[in-house]
Amino acid sequence: MNSALILIAFAGLAHAQWLDYPSKNIPRKADGKPDLTAPAPRTPEGHPTIDGLWVADDSRHLGNLAVDTKEVPFQPWAEQLFNERRAHPGRDDPEARCLPQGVPKVNTLPYPFKVMSMPGETVILYEMFYLYRQIFTDGRDFPKEFLSPSWMGYSIGKWEGDDFVVTTAGVNEDFWMDSIGHPHTSALKVTERFHRSDVGHMQVNVTIDDPKAYTKPWGAVIKQHLVPDSELLEFVCEKNLDPQHFK
Amino acid sequence: MRVMKTLLPLLVAGWIPLTAHHSFTAEYDSKKPVELKGTLTSLEWVNPHAWIHMEVKDETGKATKWDCELGSPNLLLRNGWRKDSIKPGDVIIVNGSAAKDGSNIANAKTVRLVDGTRVFNAGSSGDPGTLGAPAGQP
Repeated sequence: MNSALILIAFAGLAHAQWLDYPSKNIPRKADGKPDLTAPAPRTPEGHPTIDGLWVADDSRHLGNLAVDTKEVPFQPWAEQLFNERRAHPGRDDPEARCLPQGVPKVNTLPYPFKVMSMPGETVILYEMFYLYRQIFTDGRDFPKEFLSPSWMGYSIGKWEGDDFVVTTAGVNEDFWMDSIGHPHTSALKVTERFHRSDVGHMQVNVTIDDPKAYTKPWGAVIKQHLVPDSELLEFVCEKNLDPQHFK
Repeated sequence: MRVMKTLLPLLVAGWIPLTAHHSFTAEYDSKKPVELKGTLTSLEWVNPHAWIHMEVKDETGKATKWDCELGSPNLLLRNGWRKDSIKPGDVIIVNGSAAKDGSNIANAKTVRLVDGTRVFNAGSSGDPGTLGAPAGQP
């Protein structure tokens, strides 16, 4: 039995041999492993930094953004559309055709994202589908008009205490907010509060404010963990054969 | 025994059909488990899902073509796979779930070489949510 299992080549065993270049600036324990419960590093300005490679703890909110919400305050048309989408799971999901996940769904994916802060701007690179966001932190407001609504929208960010608060508007209506199919309109405004509690853990409090689709704001808390000693891999969604299997 | 302890939770984790960038339940039936033993024709190493193309012979020697969906190449890489981990001509055993529509398509959960030397988590039933899914990762 053992001989059949000696050369196992997956998960933890091989993981250590792949993409394991040690990250700098991560506190380590005596044995060299990252100290993921050490206090979050802080900038000279005094707030935590959220720079680094992160990934959602699980896929619960990817499946259903409202998984922890008692009652989603749908507008009637939105509920009808939601029910139609649910009746044919995944069939019409734009993501199954390699289209971008959009905001807020990018916070729920099973692939890491890299946060990079610089003066006036924070950039997030998302491994899955090769996406990026530019979050302006130079004090600007939203443009008066969104000439071209987009998948990732227009984001502005600021620090409020220990939270990095990002507001996004100007999204298009071509993506779903989760796999189950919660709809939205271009009136959607998403607020994400990034709160890093220690070196290894961060949560993103998401608020959905879309009065055309929902009678009041609702939201979700998506837990993330640091992915130390690793890097992003290229992920071009080149060829999804799934749609041809949908019935 | 130490190896067994590492392996089992991961296999169990791999059997949970999570929702990822497509709906597992839309295409596959977790109540229709399949075990396919056959010869690898090609490994299609492409995002968002790698695919195994294989030929399975029945008792009479009649060959049938099967396509098995894997996780993404990125996920497979992080789980220890390489593009040449299995090669055309290798005899492999795929365990997974059959397609709902009855076609010769399956969603792979584990892939083994027939001589038992290597076992791969296929990470396909909806891309396990954690990278490499090491059990107990904080």
